[in-house]
Amino acid sequence: MPLTGLQIFKLLPNTNCKKCGYPTCLTFAMKLAAGKETLEKCPDATPAAKAALGAASAPPIRGVTIGRGERAITVGEETVFFRHEKTFVRHPGLFQIFDPTGLTPAERDAKLDHWRGIHIERAGETFRVDGIAIVETAESVAAVAAAERGFPVAILAATLPGATAVAERIKDHRPLLVPPAGANLEGYCALAARLGIPLVVGAPDLASLADAARDAARAGVADILLEPPGADSRSLHHSLSAIRRGALDRIHPGLGHPVFLRVGAGEIERAVLGITKFASLVALADCGGEAWLPLWTLRQNIYTDPQKPLQMDPGLYAIGEPNDRSPLLVTSNFSLTYFIVSTEAEASGTACHLAVVDAEGLSVLTAWSAGKFSGDRVAKALRQMKAADRVSHHTVIIPGYVPVISGELEDALGDGWHVLVGPQEASDIAPFFRDVWGPLARDFETHP
Amino acid sequence: MSLDLKPKKWAGALREVTLGAGTRRPVSVGGGNGLPLHAFEAAFPYRPALALEITDVDPVRWVESVRQPWEGVLGQPAEAARRAVTDFGADLLLVHLMGTHADRGNRSPEQAAADVRAVLEAVDVPLIVKGPGAGQKQNAVLARVAEDCRGEGLALHSATNEDYKTLAAVAVAYGHVLVGESPIDVNIAKQLNILLADTNVDLNRALIDPLTGGLGYGLEYSYSVMERIRLAALGGDAMLNCPVVCLVGEETWKAKEARVSADKEPLWGSQRERGIHWEVSTAMTLIEAGAEVVVMRHPEALKRIRKQLDSWFGSDRSHDREGVVRSSFRPTETSGGDSCR
Repeated sequence: MPLTGLQIFKLLPNTNCKKCGYPTCLTFAMKLAAGKETLEKCPDATPAAKAALGAASAPPIRGVTIGRGERAITVGEETVFFRHEKTFVRHPGLFQIFDPTGLTPAERDAKLDHWRGIHIERAGETFRVDGIAIVETAESVAAVAAAERGFPVAILAATLPGATAVAERIKDHRPLLVPPAGANLEGYCALAARLGIPLVVGAPDLASLADAARDAARAGVADILLEPPGADSRSLHHSLSAIRRGALDRIHPGLGHPVFLRVGAGEIERAVLGITKFASLVALADCGGEAWLPLWTLRQNIYTDPQKPLQMDPGLYAIGEPNDRSPLLVTSNFSLTYFIVSTEAEASGTACHLAVVDAEGLSVLTAWSAGKFSGDRVAKALRQMKAADRVSHHTVIIPGYVPVISGELEDALGDGWHVLVGPQEASDIAPFFRDVWGPLARDFETHP
Repeated sequence: MSLDLKPKKWAGALREVTLGAGTRRPVSVGGGNGLPLHAFEAAFPYRPALALEITDVDPVRWVESVRQPWEGVLGQPAEAARRAVTDFGADLLLVHLMGTHADRGNRSPEQAAADVRAVLEAVDVPLIVKGPGAGQKQNAVLARVAEDCRGEGLALHSATNEDYKTLAAVAVAYGHVLVGESPIDVNIAKQLNILLADTNVDLNRALIDPLTGGLGYGLEYSYSVMERIRLAALGGDAMLNCPVVCLVGEETWKAKEARVSADKEPLWGSQRERGIHWEVSTAMTLIEAGAEVVVMRHPEALKRIRKQLDSWFGSDRSHDREGVVRSSFRPTETSGGDSCR
């Protein structure tokens, strides 16, 4: 539990020496409680004070890093049960389960290179395969090949001697050791402790899981992930929820670790549960984009910071590199609307100007019915953005849901402006540009 | 060391709302006294209900893979309804009167009411009836449907903060359920329910549609607003404890990612599978956030969500029908081809 300002104050020297930069120890204590300062600024803090503060400010869920270098992934460090309470911070790593049995080295490398090459841009994030969960085989070369390609590697162990051989080979790449279900953990704990690598701990029920994690920590394993019990969706959901709640309430030291989840082929629903309900590392057997794209996207949604406002700043946005003959679209400043419209406009391949009007963060139709997207309001906004200087055609394309504002907008804009009613759905922007705007623009060229 | 995991108890619970009356076999939703799906510590008298969406006219914008299971009955609401209930096992239906929209056929309120009557005669499940969208036409269409189908306990979709009086009046007068729609905003959802209550709508006959953002298109906003609505309900807020309905199919299949073929985006994989995954992921996520009525479009996605719910609620349905689900819809081969080995 975090300490209050007064509790911290009692731990400080109470000399008001000002060396921390604050006039009194009490002020400094308040800053510490608010998380705005660190105890290091107090040169006279006792070791006891440091220990007490350190323990209290430790996150309820430890952070664990897997892999090294540019692709290394850190998970954990979450602080809330509901994303709206603050935000979820470390998005779960999505690992590809890979069984290299029976593949030639060339086939194996081709697959690894394919996965390494996947980059999908979506809404400011690059989706990629975050790591490879390698099924342990007699030879350890596949794990080496994955690690050398920079992938964080999870070793899905079959036997302790086999796992030891693989882990030894790639220990400098900080792999994650995953014992087989139901294995005696003692040997795996010793191995992880000796090599200083993270370990997954599993158990048939929550109480023994928490105990097993505590025992692994006592055996010297610094970084632990929990594999929750739950063969069916209901029990998995229970385990995931209970682990998060137990960790936040600090009811057992063994629960304060990130969660590891294995998802078999065709079990998208299980992966959905994991991503929404607190799993930190999800190993997927499916390998097609049809399975990965929804999961990447879901992760992006759930881990978006809800503290960010729903509104875009009003203004004239450039999609691509528009010029004075490019189309001018107008829409509301609801950030979702903006996102969808800009995505579709960009995908159309036609550069354009997107005028985002202050509609108090409402969607177009809602804004219109509330009087926030009237012809007058839109006209005023376009004048403020000096839209007339940006496009020579003086034509503005309005959303297809509000043809009703055309007349008022045209009147309010005055001189030589035309209003063109665009599509209702953003997904129709590309055909609209092609079928409606295209001929019109050619017309402008011939009859300026 | 034993685990001291105390079950969470709440002051409030969801209202129970029964959809369907008269000639309908009713379906009840809500009533739970805990966080969604937290069956380990709370009681849920009803499982979330799964609806399929049917339309009065051919929905030309539906992508081929979601048209395929409905082949031969698109634009024939009674036939589509039979298939949805008998073959696909929908608990209830949403009849989308899209053809009443000025741009999509401009069908009259009388035609709309006749369409709904035809569906009522074809099947015995409850109906949600969705109008052409906000505006005068919406009220005219839904008021006529409400009058012509009095006593059937339809759920009228939807009243908004700006325009609720007509629909509130007809819902009360003709014995229907009213869906109040708010733009992903917990305060507006509450305000609308206060307005509805003031207009004599019994909130035990109301649903909240908090506006669904599909996967990739605002799902997280709907997710968090629904979690907050549920928390308010469990905290005892009597103006936010109506069950939530989510129009998942409609939002899912708008997404580019559910529609674009693998030829155009090779890394995205099979469009057919991807679209179904998209709908399943959206539905599952929203059920976790508290959706009690989920309106879907692809029968395969509905089947998969039903299987998930069986894990929590058992496979016998409270309103079991004979022969359960006779599937004439054949799921084609799963993705695959490219093995991950």
